[in-house]
Amino acid sequence: MSFLHPLALLGLAAAAIPALLHLLQRRIPPEVDFPPVRYLSAAERESARRLKLRHLLLLILRTALIVTIVLAAARPLVPLRGGGAHQPTAAVIILDNSPSSGAIVDGAAVVERLRVAARSSVARTTSADRVWLMLCDGVLRGGTREALLATIDSTRPGWLRLDLVQAIERAARMVNAQPVVGREVHVLSDLQRTAVASGQAVVPSGVRVLALAPGRGASNRGIAAVTVSEGAAVIELSGATLDNDGTPQPVPVTIRIGAGPNRGEIAARGLATPGPEGSGGATRAAVTVSLPAQSLAPGWWVGEAALEPDELRADDRRPFAWRVAPPARAMATPGAGSFVAAALAVLQAGRHIIDGRDVVISGGDLPSSPHAIVQPPDDPALVGQVNRALGSRGVPWRWGPLSTPGVLTSSERAGGGGLNGVPVARRYRIERAGSGEEGTSDVLATVNGEPWLVRSGSVVLLGSRLDTAWTALPASPGFVPFVDALVNRIVMGEAEVAAAEGAPHVEFRTRGTDTIGATVFGPDARESDLTPATAALVTAALGGKGRTSVLNADRFATEGFSGTRRADASGILLILALLLAAAELGVATRTR
Amino acid sequence: MVQRLDLLDPAEVARLGGIEIVAEGVVEGFLAGMHRSPFRGFSVEFTEHRAYQAGDELKYLDWRILGRSDRLFVKQFEEETNLRSMVLVDASRSMAWQGSPERLTKRAYADRLAAALALILLRQRDATGLVTFDDQVRQVIPARVKAGQWTRIVRGLLDTPDGQGTAAHAALQRLTALLARRGMVVLISDLLFDRELALAALRYLRHRGHQVVVFHLMDPAEVELSGPPEVRFKDPESAVSVVVRPRELARAYAETVRREIAAWRKACRRHGIAYHHVQTDMPFGLALRLLT
Repeated sequence: MSFLHPLALLGLAAAAIPALLHLLQRRIPPEVDFPPVRYLSAAERESARRLKLRHLLLLILRTALIVTIVLAAARPLVPLRGGGAHQPTAAVIILDNSPSSGAIVDGAAVVERLRVAARSSVARTTSADRVWLMLCDGVLRGGTREALLATIDSTRPGWLRLDLVQAIERAARMVNAQPVVGREVHVLSDLQRTAVASGQAVVPSGVRVLALAPGRGASNRGIAAVTVSEGAAVIELSGATLDNDGTPQPVPVTIRIGAGPNRGEIAARGLATPGPEGSGGATRAAVTVSLPAQSLAPGWWVGEAALEPDELRADDRRPFAWRVAPPARAMATPGAGSFVAAALAVLQAGRHIIDGRDVVISGGDLPSSPHAIVQPPDDPALVGQVNRALGSRGVPWRWGPLSTPGVLTSSERAGGGGLNGVPVARRYRIERAGSGEEGTSDVLATVNGEPWLVRSGSVVLLGSRLDTAWTALPASPGFVPFVDALVNRIVMGEAEVAAAEGAPHVEFRTRGTDTIGATVFGPDARESDLTPATAALVTAALGGKGRTSVLNADRFATEGFSGTRRADASGILLILALLLAAAELGVATRTR
Repeated sequence: MVQRLDLLDPAEVARLGGIEIVAEGVVEGFLAGMHRSPFRGFSVEFTEHRAYQAGDELKYLDWRILGRSDRLFVKQFEEETNLRSMVLVDASRSMAWQGSPERLTKRAYADRLAAALALILLRQRDATGLVTFDDQVRQVIPARVKAGQWTRIVRGLLDTPDGQGTAAHAALQRLTALLARRGMVVLISDLLFDRELALAALRYLRHRGHQVVVFHLMDPAEVELSGPPEVRFKDPESAVSVVVRPRELARAYAETVRREIAAWRKACRRHGIAYHHVQTDMPFGLALRLLT
């Protein structure tokens, strides 16, 4: 119970007035001579019990009367289950319009059901409430109730995944910071189990999290990712690809290549085979479709893989991009070492490179080729000479003193996870000399947080020689792909094809007139798993028992704002005060 | 228009003068309103004849009848002496109380009532005396009928100060010794003492053949309880006090007083004692009329 005018409760001290008056009156009565005291004593003996009861009753009635009037003046608000206005409340309505909300369940999109519930929540707010709307982009939108309703009405399934655990934490922090009585977070989501798998949200005490129970789940199959490698497109699938016996099922896949009049289409029916683990530990099946690599001209190509339509259309097609390029013309100087020479020989045999001087891998000197990959000199005395050469060529990086051993940490552009964790026993610290152009200098791999592989323009510097005396990299399986990446992409300044969340499309990165990379947009692969989380999992992940409730639609409608729904009880108290006053009057006059 | 003092408010009458003046005025008015003397006194008057019987004294033979009819009759008389009356006035401290300045104290009322009663009796040639008492006997004026007796009685009343406690039974016991012959005993008191002890003494007087009359004197404020919201009432005699709220206790108190009066009346009637409840706002004439 709370009060609109809590200061009025100070008046409760007045409840002691009847008792005080009683005591004060008893202490100083006037003294009067009265001969027939014996009659008084007799009368008092006979009436003692009745008088004590009367006094006690009057004391109780008068005290209760004052307490009731003071409470009425304080305007108490009592919680209500049914109707009644609620107290000012801060609320965040999370409308999860992530791609999975576009799934068709029972003939309607999930987002339609969520919008109805969100509309109901917002419609019940008052001008005293502070309400925000959060969509799958995680942005908290304030505004008037009408504006929020308009936003809800215009909400369609988006392309961004919403991590509900993080969203709840943000929303809870927001409402908890508001100086109002009620704090609620309404979660309107399909509550995919993948959306609540990232941990447990920390919800402050006093914040109620009400989640609409998910509807029926749906079976779905989607494209999680598409990569091009060795002249074939590998289409990673999410969702059901096995029959009831666990046997891989043929999955019809359509590949479209190119755009406009040059667009070609390849229809394939690949067998879903177990593939690498995807995000969240799920094993993804993959379908491999060969591409007409020989007939494709050098340059960047865009394609699209598509599955047959199912309940969730958002993940049924996914674009991809890859670069068709001629092999680099590369060679190694004698000082580059035997491991480099052996790797180049393997690449040349596999037609990944051809012999030439466009790219030169050296050891301890700076070649004059258009593109140079430079290892530190074996003799420390030569480091200064090479540094001066680098400086004269405008490279802002220098080799410093020998530094501590460590393990490699690389970016995707430097060969991805293949380098990570590879021990480095000996290395020079690569230091920045002066100020170079930020856009042309990149740190591609580090050891102990210090640059180990950097690129500046057409020059790539290594912190260690590619020799097992310096690093275990030459002896690792990733060495040849690393050298391939060095000569074909890194030194050329090309980026890997990156993936990002968003509406399916491809964006290219350019430098001048050259295209140096691409980003492929599409929905997060976890959106394809439409399996709803259990109520227990949702409760545990979104705040814990006692703060989070998973409610069906009816209860969600009644429970919303019920934590602060109050009725002014002052009227009832005033009626009670009148009854008490009448009772007091009756007792006081009847016994006189 | 001549007003009868016996029917006026006692307090107003008391303002006219001292006890003598008031008593005489009251008695004049009282007797003027009566067709005959209210009290049938004793005298040597002849009442009837009866036939002589053997053993009767010869001095009571009616010789005239014997001479006329030759028959023997003896004369009979009611009493050979006048009435002997004793008025007992309670002079205890409780009697010196008045519930309102507009009224007489119980003692003042009792004095005036006793003086008026004595004057009536003396005018009938009845021997009248006075006893005043509190916790002991204060004044004793033997019953006489001679001139100046009333003045002595009034002087006795005036010379008796307000006493302390009340011991009516002691005064009554002493009175029995003073009243060797049968007579009338009038007790004027607020009766705020032990009822059983007082009744024992009154019963003894009654047993001795006395006519006993009790005036139970009360101030109206003693009958209907009133006062401030809460008050400490103190008994002036015993100093016993009690804190009460008059409005709360009024009903129970009135009931107690009513029971007490009823108990006195019942006990007196059982023993042939005349009991009269008199409030100090009652005109003296009405109080005297209670005796008729």
